[in-house]
Amino acid sequence: MVPIKYNIRSLRNRWVSSLMTILGTGLVVWASVLAFGLADGLDHTLAISGDPLDLIVMRKGATSETNSIISESTAREIDTLAGVATDAAGNKLYSSELVVVVNTPRRGEQAGSANLIVRGVPPVGKQVRTGFRIVEGRENKPGLREAITSRTMARRFVGAGLGEKLDIFDAPFEIVGIFEAGGSASESEVWTDLEVLAQATKREGVRSALQIRVNSPDDAATLMNRIENDEQFGLKAVTEPQYFLDQAQAGMAIKIVGRTIAIVLTIGAMFAVANTMYAAVASRAREIGTLRAVGFSRRTVLASFLLESLLLCLAGGAVGCLGALPLNGLSTGTANWATFSELTFSFRFGPAVLAQAVLLAVLMGVIGGLFPAIRATRMKIVDALREI
Amino acid sequence: MKFLPYILKNVLRNKLRSVFTGLSIAVSLFLVTVLYAYINMQDEVGKESEKYARIVVTAKQGLMFPVPIAHLDKVRAMQGVKAASPLAWFGGKYKDDKIPFAQFATDTSAIFTVLDEFTVPPEQLSAWQKDRSGCVVGEKIARKRGWTFGDKVVLKGDIYPVNLELTVDGIYDGPESSDREMLFYHYEYLDELLKQARSQLAGNAGTIFVKAQSADMLPSLMTQIQARFASSDSPVRAVTEQAFRQMFTEMLGNVRAYIRNVALAVVVSLVCVAGNAMAMSLRERTREVAVLKAIGFSRTTVMSLVLFEAMVIAVGGGLVGTLGARALFTFGDISFMAIPGFAAFYVPWSTVIFALAIAAAVGLASGMIPAWRAARMSVVDGLRKVV
Amino acid sequence: MTNSAPETLVKLREVSKEYMRDKIHVPVLSNTSLDIPKGEFVAVMGPSGSGKSTLLNLVAGIDRPTTGTIIVAGQVLNDLSESKLTRWRSHHLGFIFQLYNLMPVLTAFENVELPLLLTPLSKRQRAEHVRTALRIVGLSDRMDHYPRQLSGGQEQRVAIARALVNDPVLLLADEPTGNLDATAAQEILDLLQQLNEEFEKTIIMVTHDPRAARRAHRMLHLEKGTFVETELDALEAAG
Repeated sequence: MVPIKYNIRSLRNRWVSSLMTILGTGLVVWASVLAFGLADGLDHTLAISGDPLDLIVMRKGATSETNSIISESTAREIDTLAGVATDAAGNKLYSSELVVVVNTPRRGEQAGSANLIVRGVPPVGKQVRTGFRIVEGRENKPGLREAITSRTMARRFVGAGLGEKLDIFDAPFEIVGIFEAGGSASESEVWTDLEVLAQATKREGVRSALQIRVNSPDDAATLMNRIENDEQFGLKAVTEPQYFLDQAQAGMAIKIVGRTIAIVLTIGAMFAVANTMYAAVASRAREIGTLRAVGFSRRTVLASFLLESLLLCLAGGAVGCLGALPLNGLSTGTANWATFSELTFSFRFGPAVLAQAVLLAVLMGVIGGLFPAIRATRMKIVDALREI
Repeated sequence: MKFLPYILKNVLRNKLRSVFTGLSIAVSLFLVTVLYAYINMQDEVGKESEKYARIVVTAKQGLMFPVPIAHLDKVRAMQGVKAASPLAWFGGKYKDDKIPFAQFATDTSAIFTVLDEFTVPPEQLSAWQKDRSGCVVGEKIARKRGWTFGDKVVLKGDIYPVNLELTVDGIYDGPESSDREMLFYHYEYLDELLKQARSQLAGNAGTIFVKAQSADMLPSLMTQIQARFASSDSPVRAVTEQAFRQMFTEMLGNVRAYIRNVALAVVVSLVCVAGNAMAMSLRERTREVAVLKAIGFSRTTVMSLVLFEAMVIAVGGGLVGTLGARALFTFGDISFMAIPGFAAFYVPWSTVIFALAIAAAVGLASGMIPAWRAARMSVVDGLRKVV
Repeated sequence: MTNSAPETLVKLREVSKEYMRDKIHVPVLSNTSLDIPKGEFVAVMGPSGSGKSTLLNLVAGIDRPTTGTIIVAGQVLNDLSESKLTRWRSHHLGFIFQLYNLMPVLTAFENVELPLLLTPLSKRQRAEHVRTALRIVGLSDRMDHYPRQLSGGQEQRVAIARALVNDPVLLLADEPTGNLDATAAQEILDLLQQLNEEFEKTIIMVTHDPRAARRAHRMLHLEKGTFVETELDALEAAG
């Protein structure tokens, strides 16, 4: 084994070239980490959004709450079915809700606009959601044009800040509170009172979906079966995790695009690493000749150069990861094609993302360094020693 | 340029290195081209749609809400309307496609008057109009999927609880920026199936596309349409097609910023990579540069030689990458990139030129430091090196 | 050549040159004056580190003196800026190196053409000049060969053709035979002598080799940065 010191000193010796290569590969890793972090953040948001004891009831054929319609009378019948959980006071944990999509300008110049989801929720609705709590201001009062939203939304949309007025179908709703819902998809929504919203949107007597809490997975299965099999309802029920899994299809595009970006850039970086290592091998021909003359085997020389290439790329990988970390938790948004509305979430650079970044760096180092290292082993000792 | 042969020979001196640098640039610029094409294409399509003088009518509550088909005749009766057709997104699954291509239920007699950038041979059009379960498909998608007249296309309903069994009756064509990957079929066919299935979705036009008699009529027509249904059970929003498309573009908001950041990172990375390769080349040629200067080449000439060499490599790589991207997206099938509401993906020439400009800039920037060092290098030291 | 008092082509007046090496002043040339008339063939000898190459570099204007004046062909080199010096060099000087310093990627023809690319000559005129220069050095039949396809002596001839091609008044040769075997060295020296006699080129040649120095009219011996003028015969006797 050629001592690793030899590689480190060689890299330091050609420090400009090493630095350029580290920067070049580092930026590639950085861009890839951003893509992975975006997908990871989206996945995380959708994953923690679902509680298996919460059921969502929609019209058969609807792909999301936004394109589901249920009449109020049908909604009432579901209420009476067995399996719906109750709270301490004996109220059924069952929330029939109206979801509309409102095109709202984003804050900032030329930021354009996006569709945001406005959800009309009866008072019980907040109880059905685990992790829901007001963190600033107060809850909206039933019967008033008041609304609450998340911090992210307040920051992203015009009129969504605490104390501001948000236009919902030409009616101004005052934002009176900021809520948290454990980082779930609910944090991409604006909530207001069901009846007030129905009035404002002329959709009285219409519901989009029902949110039902059950006591056990068995109850969930029974209730789901009961709803699905009743032709009269024309409804379907899914557990929340299932619902968000379907929506995660929207994240598929981001994932595919992100992976494609990472792979394409990594291939590009491999060529760059190969260039650097070929030059290193060429300029150290005499050293290689000496190593071989002293008695190091071809395999050892190969390993030494591969290691050097790997060191170079791992340094680049570290630069890329460190450069991305300050963006951890930065909130962003993308279109959720299932609802045609904006889904906000945060960049997440968890262990999985960082592991992928390291994997990319290793790939660059090994594949990019392989052929130069092979060239090093193929040198004839006598010729190599004669090189200047 | 009388120095060109010398520059080219220097580029080819270490073929492997130049090819690798070029490929590194090609691969990365391929990506930048694709990403920017995504943005530029949307802008271009948006701009294009301005001249078609069209209005898109959607439910006021958003795209997911129905627009009653009864609205259609009322819109048609308005002054300034040349033609109007429902355009209902079916979103059905074809074979094992992950993301559906665009399938619209339309009025066969109006659709190609509304979307007048498309052309269908008259005999195909009339065949389609007579065939209740017929469809007309875009030239590009027909080519990609190998569809010809008489082929059966079965679409499995996803949003809708029905399946469509369609026959290809015609193929439409249109300009480059237009979406030639759509499928149009009879609105009546869909509605009939929905009624049979007793679905609540029957009678929904989805959206109504309206062709105005002239562009200056658009504002008044939009106000008129919105006012007409404002107090009905189904109020609508009427916007220009451009604004409609922009809505989708804007929904991508952060994606654009992300694309810009990635592109920037790629460019800086390439400057490092190409600059490093250039520096390595020149280090091996120190003596030659010294000789050039000794026999009378000025600093400026030496510098330009190096800069040009760097540009040749970068632009060479850029050409491979961007033209490769354009070729791939013109001839290949990349339907997974498609996003609802958009024209099928293509790479506009403006993006190709943009990417080539980036390549030239990368070449220039990467050659800068090596060129400056070569120009500044002492002849005496250079000649003494490696004797 | 005329018999009247020859014009002085190279004039050094009290030229000194010091290098800084690790913060220590290393004197290379001290207070040296020298006149070289037009048409002369001068050999500069001396042990390593005596300042031979420095002298050549100073006359070529690729290095600058610490003090003193250098005048070549009536031009005070001290006065010229870097870029003017470069242009001046391309018109008045031809440079011949020990290691030939040909561009490995260029053919013999292209190597010789290189200095002409700096002139406004047309492609056809350039080709004519190159062919003439290669004919003089006797390599008309090797025009399309690359340096690696030539022998050492042939490479040096190409280098001489490159030095000649823009018809300079002064040829500077730094150990032109240092890398060649005896036969090739003789051929190169024959060629230099021919250039001096037939084409009236003034030549300053740095060399280690007394046999090479013998071809010159005058021999300058440098020792520790100062000239010791020696007659060739005395050298012969000593050598």
